[in-house]
Amino acid sequence: MHNEYKTYNCKILKINPEAADSKTFTLSVSYKGFSFEPGQYVMVSVPGFGEAAISLSSDFNEKKFFQLTIRKCGTLTSAVHNKKVGDYLGIRGPYGRPFPIDLAKGKIVLIVAGGIGIEPFRPLILDAIKNPKKYKKVYIFCGSRDESTMLYAKEYPAWKKVCDLSLTLDNPKSKKYTKGQVTTLFDIKNIPTDALSFMCGPPIMYKFVMAKMLEKGFKPENIYVSLERHMDCAQGVCQHCAIGPYYVCKDGPVFSYVELINFKSWLSPI
Amino acid sequence: MHNKKFEQFVDYLRQKNKVIAPQYDVEGFLHLAELKEIKDLYLGTKLPLDSWKWFILPAYQKMFDYQNQEIKEILPKIRSQIFLGVSILDLQALTLLNQVFEKDAFYQQIKKRTIIIGTSLVPEENFYKYFEKFEEDKLEHLQFDLFLAIQKNDYKIYSGSEDGQRLLDDFGYKDYSHIEYAGPIREEGLDPQMVAVKDAMQNRHNQKIWDDLGKRCMQCGKCTIVCPVCFCFRMFDQINLEPETGSRNRCWDSCFYNEFTQVAGPVPEAPKHRFFNTTAQKIYFWYEHHFVRTPTSFSLPGCVGCGRCSRTCPADIDIFTTIKEILRK
Repeated sequence: MHNEYKTYNCKILKINPEAADSKTFTLSVSYKGFSFEPGQYVMVSVPGFGEAAISLSSDFNEKKFFQLTIRKCGTLTSAVHNKKVGDYLGIRGPYGRPFPIDLAKGKIVLIVAGGIGIEPFRPLILDAIKNPKKYKKVYIFCGSRDESTMLYAKEYPAWKKVCDLSLTLDNPKSKKYTKGQVTTLFDIKNIPTDALSFMCGPPIMYKFVMAKMLEKGFKPENIYVSLERHMDCAQGVCQHCAIGPYYVCKDGPVFSYVELINFKSWLSPI
Repeated sequence: MHNKKFEQFVDYLRQKNKVIAPQYDVEGFLHLAELKEIKDLYLGTKLPLDSWKWFILPAYQKMFDYQNQEIKEILPKIRSQIFLGVSILDLQALTLLNQVFEKDAFYQQIKKRTIIIGTSLVPEENFYKYFEKFEEDKLEHLQFDLFLAIQKNDYKIYSGSEDGQRLLDDFGYKDYSHIEYAGPIREEGLDPQMVAVKDAMQNRHNQKIWDDLGKRCMQCGKCTIVCPVCFCFRMFDQINLEPETGSRNRCWDSCFYNEFTQVAGPVPEAPKHRFFNTTAQKIYFWYEHHFVRTPTSFSLPGCVGCGRCSRTCPADIDIFTTIKEILRK
C-alpha cells in the first residue's frame, strides 16, 4: 500500500540569501510525477526536527528543479538554514488546491501580497514573464514592513517588464517607496473591477483589503485567498488545519471568497 | 451455538491470537484488556471505560526510522488480535475509523491482523437509540468479522467477512449466516438526527451555549482521549543517542491543547501565533468536528452516543444536554 507519509530526499543545488531572514533553496526533482501549480505546497522535513508546510515558489514549467523560500523562525527552519549545497531536504507533496490560473487566461489578474505572502505568486509571475501573452495584464500589489523585508527585490526589474508592480512599505527608509498599507494602493491605482484577484498575506491584511475591494466594487466570485494553518498530515486527517467543514491542507490553501462568505461556522476562517 | 461450545470457541481463539475483551479489574472498573481466563469475560450491556481505538490506532506509533538522510518505513508488527465483545456503538465507531484511515498504511497494517467480533447486547448508555433493540437488518451497515446475537443461553453467529468465515471454518462450526457489508448509509438515507444537529449548528448558532461551556470546560482533553471516534494525531521526530539516527512518529493529539493551532508568527517579535485562544473556541471546534465536519466528509455521524465523554468530564459537562440545547429552537 502506498505510504503517503514517505518523504523523498531532494538535493540542494543552490542557496540564495533573501531579505526577511529567508533563504531560497533550489532543489532537484527526485521523484516521478512531481509537478505543481501556483498556490500548492510541500511538506519539508529534516530528520530529527520534524516537518513544515512551505509554498512552492519556482516556475512550474521547470521539470528538473523547484525552489522553496524558507524563513528562519523556529527549530526546524534553523536546521534547514544550516544545510549546505549538496545536502538533502526531505520533501513530500505537492499538496493542496492551487490558484485557478486556468480561469485567468486572457484576463486581467490582480495579485495582492503582504510580506512573505508574495512567495506562492512567484510561479505565476515567472509564468507571465515566460508567456507574456497568456494573461491580458498582471497587476501586483505588494506590501511589506520596510526595505529589509522586501522579498525577491533583485527580481523586481525583470517583473516590471511584463507586470505592473506597485509596492508599499509600512516604514520606508527612503522616499522612493510609497508609505502605507497595501490598501492605499487601491486608491492610487485604478484596477478594473472585473479583474481576477489572488491574495496571500497575514490574516489581519485580509480583513482590511476585503473591505476595501468590496467598497471599490470588486465581486466576491473573482477573489481567491490563500489561508494558513498548522499542518501535520497534509491529507485532511489529523484535524489540525480544519476550519468549518474544510481542511486547509486538502480543500485549500486557496479558497474562493464566496466559500468564505458562506462559511457557516462561529470560528472565523480568516 | 450453545454456551459450552462458545467457551470452547473462545479457548480456540486464545490459542493463536491475543484476545482483547471487556473485563472487570480489581477495583471493579470495566476495562479492555487481554483475556487470560474465560471466566473473566464480560458480555453485557455496560460499556468499557476505554474505547477500542487504543488497540487499532495506538496512542504512540513509530512511522519511520532514519539514519543520516535515509528514511525507512516501519510498519507495525503486532500479533494477530481479536476484539471480542464489541458493542454496536463501538462497531459504528470502528466503521467510521476504517473509512477515515482507509488510505493509511499504518492503520491498515494493524487492521489486517485484527478480527472484530461484535455483540448484540444494546448498551444502557445509547443516546441516539439507533439500536433500541437488536435487529438483524441493521447489521449490513456495520463492519465486523463476526457477530454474536446473544439470546438466553445461546449465540446466533453471523459472519461479516472472509476472515470471520475462515475462523469459524477452521474451528469446525458451520451453522452461521453471512452478512454482506452494504456501506455505512442506510436505505432510508442519511440519519435524520445527524442532519438535524448539523443544520442547527450551522444555521442556528446560539453563542450563549458556547460561552457557558467555555466557562466550565478546563481544556483537560479527557473527552478526546476516551472518545471512540476522536482520532487527531500530531507528528514529531525523535532523536536517538546514537548520532544521526532517530525516528519519525505520531501520537494522539487533542484539539484542547494550546499548541494545536500554533503557527510561526508574522514578525520575530511575535514568534508564534495561535488561532484558538479561548476555551469557548476550542470546545466549539470539538463539537464542530463531531457534528459538522464528519457528517460532511463521510455522511456518517461523528458521535455514536456512548457517553464516555460525559462520564469522564471533570467539569460535569454532558454532551447530550448540550445537543438538546443546540436543537432547541
